[in-house]
Amino acid sequence: MSGKASSSQHTVGFSGSGGLSHVYIQYPPLRCRIPGSRGLYYDDGSKLLLGPTSNQVFSWKTVPFDPHVAPTSDSISEGPILSIRYSLDAKFIAIQRSSQEIQIWHRETGETFSHKCRSESESILGFFWTDCPLCDFVLVKTSGLDLLACDYESKLLDLVETRRLNVSWYVYTHESRLVLLASGMQCKTFTGFQLSSAGIVRLPRFEMAMAKSEANSKPVLAAEDIYIVTVYGRIYCMQIDRVAMLLHSYRFYRDAVVQQGSMPVYSSKIAVSVVDNVLLVHQVDAKVVILYDIFADSRAPISAPLPLLFRGFPRSNTSSSRFSGKDGESAEANISDHEAIIYGDDWTFLVPDLICDVANNFLWKIHLDLEAISASSSEVPSVLEFLQRRKLEANKAKQLCLAITRTVILERRPVSMVARVIDVLVSNYSYSIKTGSYLKGIKVERTSISSGAHVNSPRSSANISASGIDALGKSYEHEPSARVENESLNRSSNISTSDSEDEAHFESLKNTTTSLQKLDRENILGAESASNEAQPSSSQSQHPGLNNNPLNASVSERQELQLASPAISPDEMYSFVFAPVEEEMVGDPSYLVAIIVEFLRSTNLEKIKVHPNLYVLTIQLLARNERYTELTLFIINKVLEPSKEVAMQLLESGRQNFQIRKLGLDMVRHLSLHHDYVVLLVQDGYYLEALRYARKHKVTTVRPSLFLEAALASNDSQLLAAVLRFFSDFIPGFRNTSDHHTYHRILSEMNSAIAT
Amino acid sequence: MGLASANTSSEGMQLCVFDLRRGQLEGQELDKILFFFPADLPFSTQLSVIGLSEGLITFTRIFSPEAACEVIEAERHSHVFYEAEPDIWMVMVVEKSKGLEVIWRIDALREVLKEVHSLFMMFNGSIRAMLEREPSGGVIRSHLYPFIMDYMSDFLVGKKLQLPSFRDCLTERGTVQMLTVGREAAIEVQSLVRVLESCAGTTPCHSLIFFQDLLVSTTVSPDDTINLFTYAVLRLTPRALSSGASSWSYLRKGSTASHVAAGSTLAQSASVSEHLYRSHDNSPGRDDSYHVKRPLQHDKWAKGKDGFLVTDIWGAEIGSSVTVSPTIWLRQTEERVYLCAYQYKGLTLILLIPVSSILNGEQGVSLVKQQVLENASLKMLKVEEKLSKGWGGENAYHVSGYRYLLVDDDRNISRASPPVKVTTLTKESLLAMNKLREEVDLEKSRAKRNGVDQEKDLEICIRAKNNAWVIAHTTRGKELYMVLEKANETLLYASDAVEKFSNRYCGGTFSLD
Repeated sequence: MSGKASSSQHTVGFSGSGGLSHVYIQYPPLRCRIPGSRGLYYDDGSKLLLGPTSNQVFSWKTVPFDPHVAPTSDSISEGPILSIRYSLDAKFIAIQRSSQEIQIWHRETGETFSHKCRSESESILGFFWTDCPLCDFVLVKTSGLDLLACDYESKLLDLVETRRLNVSWYVYTHESRLVLLASGMQCKTFTGFQLSSAGIVRLPRFEMAMAKSEANSKPVLAAEDIYIVTVYGRIYCMQIDRVAMLLHSYRFYRDAVVQQGSMPVYSSKIAVSVVDNVLLVHQVDAKVVILYDIFADSRAPISAPLPLLFRGFPRSNTSSSRFSGKDGESAEANISDHEAIIYGDDWTFLVPDLICDVANNFLWKIHLDLEAISASSSEVPSVLEFLQRRKLEANKAKQLCLAITRTVILERRPVSMVARVIDVLVSNYSYSIKTGSYLKGIKVERTSISSGAHVNSPRSSANISASGIDALGKSYEHEPSARVENESLNRSSNISTSDSEDEAHFESLKNTTTSLQKLDRENILGAESASNEAQPSSSQSQHPGLNNNPLNASVSERQELQLASPAISPDEMYSFVFAPVEEEMVGDPSYLVAIIVEFLRSTNLEKIKVHPNLYVLTIQLLARNERYTELTLFIINKVLEPSKEVAMQLLESGRQNFQIRKLGLDMVRHLSLHHDYVVLLVQDGYYLEALRYARKHKVTTVRPSLFLEAALASNDSQLLAAVLRFFSDFIPGFRNTSDHHTYHRILSEMNSAIAT
Repeated sequence: MGLASANTSSEGMQLCVFDLRRGQLEGQELDKILFFFPADLPFSTQLSVIGLSEGLITFTRIFSPEAACEVIEAERHSHVFYEAEPDIWMVMVVEKSKGLEVIWRIDALREVLKEVHSLFMMFNGSIRAMLEREPSGGVIRSHLYPFIMDYMSDFLVGKKLQLPSFRDCLTERGTVQMLTVGREAAIEVQSLVRVLESCAGTTPCHSLIFFQDLLVSTTVSPDDTINLFTYAVLRLTPRALSSGASSWSYLRKGSTASHVAAGSTLAQSASVSEHLYRSHDNSPGRDDSYHVKRPLQHDKWAKGKDGFLVTDIWGAEIGSSVTVSPTIWLRQTEERVYLCAYQYKGLTLILLIPVSSILNGEQGVSLVKQQVLENASLKMLKVEEKLSKGWGGENAYHVSGYRYLLVDDDRNISRASPPVKVTTLTKESLLAMNKLREEVDLEKSRAKRNGVDQEKDLEICIRAKNNAWVIAHTTRGKELYMVLEKANETLLYASDAVEKFSNRYCGGTFSLD
């Protein structure tokens, strides 16, 4: 089982790819060029990239990200398009036609109806679809929020509720379900609503901090200075303070907004992305990106600022030939001067991890280079902690963790340091077991989807999926003052109360993706279909080939779970760390024994079972060094827990040391392996003890001839007679067997020989 | 003159060590005497004791060259023989008297001889090696005398030497008492052991860990473990250090107060003996600057500020107050190691650092100590906490209704009812048990002589006069001795009691059928 996987592990080394960057975009991009395009819009609710032409809308799925995905198209009527979004069930298309009018389009029938503002004084800032139970559609106007329900039969949007307040601009992301409404002179007073599937939560009004450059100037906060960010299931707001050159962060709780600290910025243009719960702050002017992992309270960056790397560009024309067809030529031409376009002016950052190159109609997905990140730090335990939190490339993170662990052991780093490494891995595994993301992830997901009652539990927040809408378009913005509605990032999560925060972060992004797809199609999809959908997405990535774990019946589920978490089980620790390390290590094994003891300590603290193979390995190591005293202590104190494997290894090692063999025998007896025990007693020559034991525990599986042969070999007629008599009494019908006849004859011969 | 001259000689205990290879010429007989107690006995008497012993050894060797004489039972004396090293014999002569208090078990007495010799070897190396280094015998005599006298002072109760008698029949000398620990604590202990192991850099260090007077962990061979355990319980554990506290261990009797008094009397006798020996010792190699270590001397160990135990037994470096670190010999590896003892509350830790791995002497040792403090302090704290949490006190291993001794011959481990509980037994029971143990000893040595490598099962239940059951049960290297007083009279009851005990406390070892 381990052969293939372990060979692949060795290729994962400490050396990153070039080491010059921690974040990269992978060639090829998703090309979304269509003739007659009137701009690109990103809908974070349905995760679609939309490219309307005069009478059609082309849409590209961005999740899962596939550069070769073909667009689907819908016909629409002609007219101006200020913004466009698909409904979450993908049945309707909503198009903002003017600052007063929204047009709704039914995709199947092609029927349309319009919704207009009642008074001329208010204008539409933007809109979005929601899965909030109260309404389907939210209209953000300068005068407040209109919550509307879509009534297809009567062809209108029913007003459910109105929240009146003055709005200068707003920010919304679907993944957070949070809409922030800016008001006031400086636009720094915020009112927030979370329209989650649990209902509407109104956040307390709060103000953002802004430094003043001089006494009388009051900077005005703009929509592009605000980012709603979802990491580890928590919702943050990042605010750029251009005067202080700081990026402030605020954390949203159900009942409070708490400022969390600030990070310096080094560029006048800043963009924020989130990849796999890592916060990426793009310093656009400096053309570098800084990574933050705000899991802990630390606001220190993960590593030094490094540029975004462009990966996989085909150097020769031959390799580009795999891209067939019509867009090949022009695309190559555009790509070829890619050096110039990294952090170009045409880049728009979409939520959470996409970049749209508006000029070339390219869509890039941002990736983390985990190898490079892990190679950049020498503080191994914290690197592992970071890797263990990664969900997007869980398999890669896992392989890296295994490789790093192997390396620190092979390099014979101090035991205390390796112990901390092991603690990180074990506690993460334990946590993933508890939260269910390692083995029971599927089950959790099912319950949260199928029963509405659970929907507002903290855990479900991460299951509700990520999706995002962003109209690409600042460059398409018509009225700079009001048309900022479209920038937003999006992953769903509840605003968590402070005590529930940690629940969510272990949920995998894969699961999230799964449920996202579900949301795209049908809100009330059953659990079965949800997990079915999961399979294609998981099967396309490689998994380490450990599917023999008996704990899980369904292979397909297992595969998905494998990828759901980089947590490393004790079995894997044995197969991919201790066993290979033991093979490679030369010299005194006491160091490895020390490491194993630390591992046992760690697993014992977390109450995790250890694979008996590890115990067997420990016995081999100790016996090889003839450290029988210690081995005895290990067994007596049950540091190595009793099991058949352990007992057998003790018997094996006991060939050199009778004491150890006895321990093995005792263990066999304690484990009630009656048959083995009787056979072993016979082997050691304790026939009568074996017989007595067989009688007491009713062991009938040992062949009588085994005893009879042994008794005969002892050349003691008394012993033979005793054994023969025993079986005659103990086994009904023994008198009629050939064994009885044979040995009875032998016995009488022996007796007569003695008599004469 | 106290005990040395007056009491003991009249009490009739004599102990001698002699070398059969020495003094074979007429007129040089005194040469073979390496040690004699009491020292003030006339040489003629000494020589007659040794002469008798020598004669018997020579005679019995004709029949049994491998294992010569073990014991002579004379009308008024028992002579217990122990061949400590090839041709180096230790003989203990004890007087039989009508009094009950002096009923011995011969094997228990032999264990005493064995123990003192093992300890001597640990600190000084073998007697033979010392004789070869300095053939005149002066050095070995000057070492043996104070060593054995210091050792015997532990048997002093008041002013009387009290050798192991029938009252000690539920103890086994030369075994180790272990603390039973749970898995979690055991892992913590092992984790600590691993840290200690790597404290001296690349050469692995050995270590022993004690909690109170019980062994928790060891990484040295069983023989070395026994020696170090004995020494630790005698002189190093918190109870051994704190004067006045009595121990529950069979290794220490009485209180230190009596030790002090006894120590002085024995010291006096030592000075006498030195005088005596000097009279017939004309070796020129003997000068006063030669330091004779007395590691068994009382009240010589103290806890230092850093938690390490310090002693001046090994002397001090010339011109400084820094004491020399103790060194001992490991029997299995024949390696000389520094002995560093550290104490934290009930936890005592012995670290053995190979001398060969330390290049710059005391400085190197203190460097290792520093390492231990840095790397292991936290773990020691944790281990101490875990162990004391699970520690049931002195009577932790008491099983109500039973008075027992459980010996694991393979691992040299024993566990017994606490002495306070054993003292509640009547004399009759104890005498019966003593007798029974002698029988079992006989049976064991017979089996050993016959070279039977299979260990026979043995089960004896005796109904003693006072209606107590006295039981011995041996099976495959494990021995269980048990006294059940005020017990039901049926044999079934007795065997049930054994079975119950066995299932509960011995993992079913004694209840195979």
